Amino acid sequence: MSRAWLAVLAAAVLLPMAVRHALATEIWIFAIFGLGLNLLLGYTGLLSFGQSTFFGAAAYVAGYLLKHYETNVFAALGVGIVVGAVSAALVGYLCVRRSGLYFIMLTFALNQMFYFIAYQWTTVTGGEDGMPGIGRPALLGVDFRNPLAYYVFVAALFLLSLWIMQRIVESPLGKILQAIRENDVRAEAVGYDVPRFKLLAFVIGGAFSGLAGVLYSMLFGIVPLEAIGFVFSGNVLFATLIGGSGSFYGPIIGSFVFIWLSESVSVVWERWPLLLGVAFVIVVLFFRGGCVEAWARFWSWRERRRALAGIAQ
Amino acid sequence: MALLRTESLTKAFGALTAVNGVTLEVQAGTLHSIIGPNGAGKTTLFNLLTGQFPPTSGRIVFDGRDITGTPAHRIAHLGLARSFQRTNVFPALSILDNVWIAAFARGRSWRGLVWRRSDGYAEVTERARVALADVGLADKADQPAREISHGEQRQLELAIALAAAPRVLLLDEPAAGLSPDETQKMVALVRGLKGRYTIVLIEHKMDIIMGVSDRVSVMHFGSLIAEGTPAEIQRNPEVRRAYLGGMVAE
Repeated sequence: MSRAWLAVLAAAVLLPMAVRHALATEIWIFAIFGLGLNLLLGYTGLLSFGQSTFFGAAAYVAGYLLKHYETNVFAALGVGIVVGAVSAALVGYLCVRRSGLYFIMLTFALNQMFYFIAYQWTTVTGGEDGMPGIGRPALLGVDFRNPLAYYVFVAALFLLSLWIMQRIVESPLGKILQAIRENDVRAEAVGYDVPRFKLLAFVIGGAFSGLAGVLYSMLFGIVPLEAIGFVFSGNVLFATLIGGSGSFYGPIIGSFVFIWLSESVSVVWERWPLLLGVAFVIVVLFFRGGCVEAWARFWSWRERRRALAGIAQ
Repeated sequence: MALLRTESLTKAFGALTAVNGVTLEVQAGTLHSIIGPNGAGKTTLFNLLTGQFPPTSGRIVFDGRDITGTPAHRIAHLGLARSFQRTNVFPALSILDNVWIAAFARGRSWRGLVWRRSDGYAEVTERARVALADVGLADKADQPAREISHGEQRQLELAIALAAAPRVLLLDEPAAGLSPDETQKMVALVRGLKGRYTIVLIEHKMDIIMGVSDRVSVMHFGSLIAEGTPAEIQRNPEVRRAYLGGMVAE
């Protein structure tokens, strides 16, 4: 097992001792969301500004089932994953043949469309008030209303997601998506149907978003309208970029920084998004690879200083 | 029998007819060169052959099969592989991965595409390594493509085409931008591939063509103006006027 995996495991164990359980749970949920986005952003080179479409759609559908039928937890998760994947297939189908700005704007526009459907369809979604009253049914005798039990459940699902995503990026598909990011013309010329592979990345990313959406609705007991709004799409994008979209583990670090900042700073300073803006500017200007790159540069700087000190002696 | 054939192939971009009624036959196992000054339509012809865009009119027949209008990604699977005039690799990927991607595309099956570890495809990796060895890049396999020299990138460009296990190899000015030394190496490399593949070579440096080609076709303003053995082409007065004259004037 690699050192990165040990670090993630240690974090999963230690986190609930350091912060509130709900916050710790939210960090892992957001990390799952980020993993899905990063398959598109970091690996395929597609900047999707509409990830909350899949997150929100899954949260609404699974939330509805949990609220009105008290479905089994796994059934709700399964439905959410399917809804995330199907909505991503729909959006992806319309977007993958566009490129650059048109692609970004189209993901954004479709996100807005879903947002307004949720906004208008008050009988189901509750519109602006959100969809409250979502429970956490017990599973195999474990009562998920206990925050720690739910945390353990979410952390386990996160680790499972991380493992699955790692298998995907280490598979031929992972290489093909990176090849498409690097040079889509050549990828097409050596024999890959580029739009179809982009669509596949969308569907997988959508499935991860869907899983995160359902877990989110169960965590807070409500699907707020924002869960399908563009601010949410922006948040996961921000978090992933700040963590480092060029790295497999970047979205996890981004999720930590983002959720922790928004929780701890927002209490003392209501203009906290300003801080996020500054962090974002720093990333864009100096550390394109986010925290991961900053960390790597810090280490190589230290090594160099040590080496110089060695020479001086 | 001709392995690759075009019948009055034409491509017009608005008022500009880049390729004009080209009828060409490439015999299996030969090295067939297409020469012509810059802007003669050679690269456009390649783009048509590899399905980058469809022709305005005319037909392309590969191995007795009409492939006109077949999209690029499917052409590759039929066994037509190309290299590009302007280096067109995957910069951030390792040299091995650059070639691996092409080898995998033409692999026997895509089973395990989403799930199997890519280092588990021993046969694909083996083919990729052979292609690298063919162009002399075996010892650089783990370096990212953007870190090697221009000359080595040209070699990689060729290796990507080779890794696709092609039946016909379309080489678009493989020596573009190379120093005289590197050009010599590239010519030797292409000569080494002769006989193993059917090769169509685009070039505008005359000296490269003459030594290695079996047949030479001359393109000028989108049309073929002559075809023959290298010796015949060198004697052809029309070619001398249209093409060699132009070169001397340069």
